[in-house]
Amino acid sequence: MSGVSLERIVKRYGALEVVHGIDLEIAPTEFVVLVGPSGCGKSTTLRMIAGLEEISGGTCRIGDRVVNRVAPKDRDVAMVFQNYALYPHLSVADNIAFGLRIRRTPKAEIASSVEEVAGILGLTPYLDRRPADLSGGQRQRVAMGRAIVRHPEVFLFDEPLSNLDAKLRTQMRAEIKRLHKRLGVTSVYVTHDQVEAMTLADRIVVMRDGRIEQIGTPMELFNDPVNTFVAGFIGSPPMNQFEAVVEAGERGPMAVANGARIALPALESLRHAQGRKVIIGIRPEHASIEPMPGASTVPVKLDLIETLGSEALLHSSIGEVPFVIKAETGGDTAHLAGVEAFHVAPERIKVFDHDTGRVLGAARMGVAA
Amino acid sequence: MSQQEHIGPSTEELVVEAREALRDRARRRAARLGDHFKREWQIYVLLLPTILWFALFLYKPMYGLQIAFKDYSIFRGIDGSPWIGFEHFRTLFENDQFLRAIRNTVIISFFTLLFGFPAPIILALMFNEILSQTYKRAAQTIVYLPHFISTVIIAGIVITAFSPSAGIVNTVLEWLGMDPVYFLTKPEWFRPIFIGSGIWQEAGFQSIVYLAAIAGVNPSLYESAVVDGASRWQMVWKVTLPSILPTIIIMLIIRIGNLLEVGFELIILLYQPATYETADVINTFIYRQGLQQGQYDLAAAAGLFNAVVAFVLVMTANTISKRVSRTSLW
Repeated sequence: MSGVSLERIVKRYGALEVVHGIDLEIAPTEFVVLVGPSGCGKSTTLRMIAGLEEISGGTCRIGDRVVNRVAPKDRDVAMVFQNYALYPHLSVADNIAFGLRIRRTPKAEIASSVEEVAGILGLTPYLDRRPADLSGGQRQRVAMGRAIVRHPEVFLFDEPLSNLDAKLRTQMRAEIKRLHKRLGVTSVYVTHDQVEAMTLADRIVVMRDGRIEQIGTPMELFNDPVNTFVAGFIGSPPMNQFEAVVEAGERGPMAVANGARIALPALESLRHAQGRKVIIGIRPEHASIEPMPGASTVPVKLDLIETLGSEALLHSSIGEVPFVIKAETGGDTAHLAGVEAFHVAPERIKVFDHDTGRVLGAARMGVAA
Repeated sequence: MSQQEHIGPSTEELVVEAREALRDRARRRAARLGDHFKREWQIYVLLLPTILWFALFLYKPMYGLQIAFKDYSIFRGIDGSPWIGFEHFRTLFENDQFLRAIRNTVIISFFTLLFGFPAPIILALMFNEILSQTYKRAAQTIVYLPHFISTVIIAGIVITAFSPSAGIVNTVLEWLGMDPVYFLTKPEWFRPIFIGSGIWQEAGFQSIVYLAAIAGVNPSLYESAVVDGASRWQMVWKVTLPSILPTIIIMLIIRIGNLLEVGFELIILLYQPATYETADVINTFIYRQGLQQGQYDLAAAAGLFNAVVAFVLVMTANTISKRVSRTSLW
């Protein structure tokens, strides 16, 4: 298997630059997900790897080979498209065999490959059907079959699940993961859905406005977002963020926001930072409705309870600022109606610079100092 | 239990009930239809001119079709003329000129379809491969233009181009050291010239339909084919053509329906007694019999024959297409 390496990749349309020098190393067999809002350049980046978009600057390597000027067919990649890109006039078997036929693979080999792939994807009973006679999930599977059958070095997925309904998406997500485990092919996967990114990726690349914001494993991104954008993008529901002013407390720095006083982690950068405006980030799951030793208590006004089953989302507000709490229901939501405050441990709180949105250094007082 | 002690509604009562229910349903349906018209009347107003046009120019004249079975005389009128059954059809099929016209119609139609039908498709595929937008637009305009020229002028151009004294074709032949040919008096040249000029006039304009169909092809099909390693030629064959096949089939059905509707204006303008042998088609025959010789009833019979054959052709084409390719006009 080959890895993929992007070095200062730039994409320009005339004078407009949409991807601004991306650096990314994808190891062989790794599953990397590019995630970000619409227009962040993730699809463009994927299409540059595929060869469907010209690379305006920088170097793209697949394995050891620079592929900037290599035709898509010679890059040894296979791509799965959002709208499946199945040929409506061909049967499932012929759709899967299309790439092999183009490459003039011997007939017997095509037949056995198609059979094998259909077996893996559970498509054997549908081989004679046309795409129009298949369900969305089955079509998606045919599209994957077309990619798998060629045994490429790299799989490229361009939002392959966004046309499916929620239930099917969850199911296909698991199938893609299983397939990757089984085949071990280097995969680059583009999505705007952070849940897909979290569940599928070995590493996630969060992009915004043609730049990479952060690269890391799903848990790294969840626990240590580098800025407010990543913090807001990864995690569902997203991290609560609100403005606060730093004050010195008895046991360390405190944040004051809308009359609430919250103990902050003892970060080096918060020493002597009285009066500094910051952005406080608290994950919904880190705001507890049970009191904890050493935790700050923040009074809230409960607005609405969204029940999810074992958990519930408590939509509330600190003064005017909306705040979401994720709480265990224990099978009953009656006790949640009386919630008047949440508790949060200082080490669970992220502090971001007010102007740049960057997270304040992980260096803790007494450790780095 | 005896008949008299029968409990529940009798058959008669049931029938009455059923009738009432039916009447009720009809009433409700009428009310629904009324509501529908009240709500959507604008749509029907928009439809009205077309319906009127159809009624006046296509359905009303059908009343006159009966003269095909009558000994028609202008003075007695349509209703006053006596019925004579299939007499005119018998006369027609005993007439060598009519049989020749049928043969010519079939031959000209067949070759027009054979060469004229693929021409706009090929043209559209070629336009689709032109990368320079300016060049593409200029080329399209040039091939669309002949469509907008009146048939009379087209005939004039053709006659001039093939003229033995000053025509460009004969001038070129002379340069090549050949003797000039008076093409338009030679029966063997009539069909190629007629079919060729028809293609020249209409292929460009007809290609618009196919260009629109090509524009509707999902671009990711091409991208997927590119990644799979297809060449441009393979993409035309394996992606574009199959994708526009439904359009091609619909156009083919329409064409087959009009198969016998040879563009006879151009024939009338181009043919002369010397070329009747290959040029005279059913429609020109009808024109000569009906309008020039005043045999309206005989001409109506020929026209009706033409229409019935066309109807059978379009029904057959549609049925075959529905079975084979799941594409059909209705």
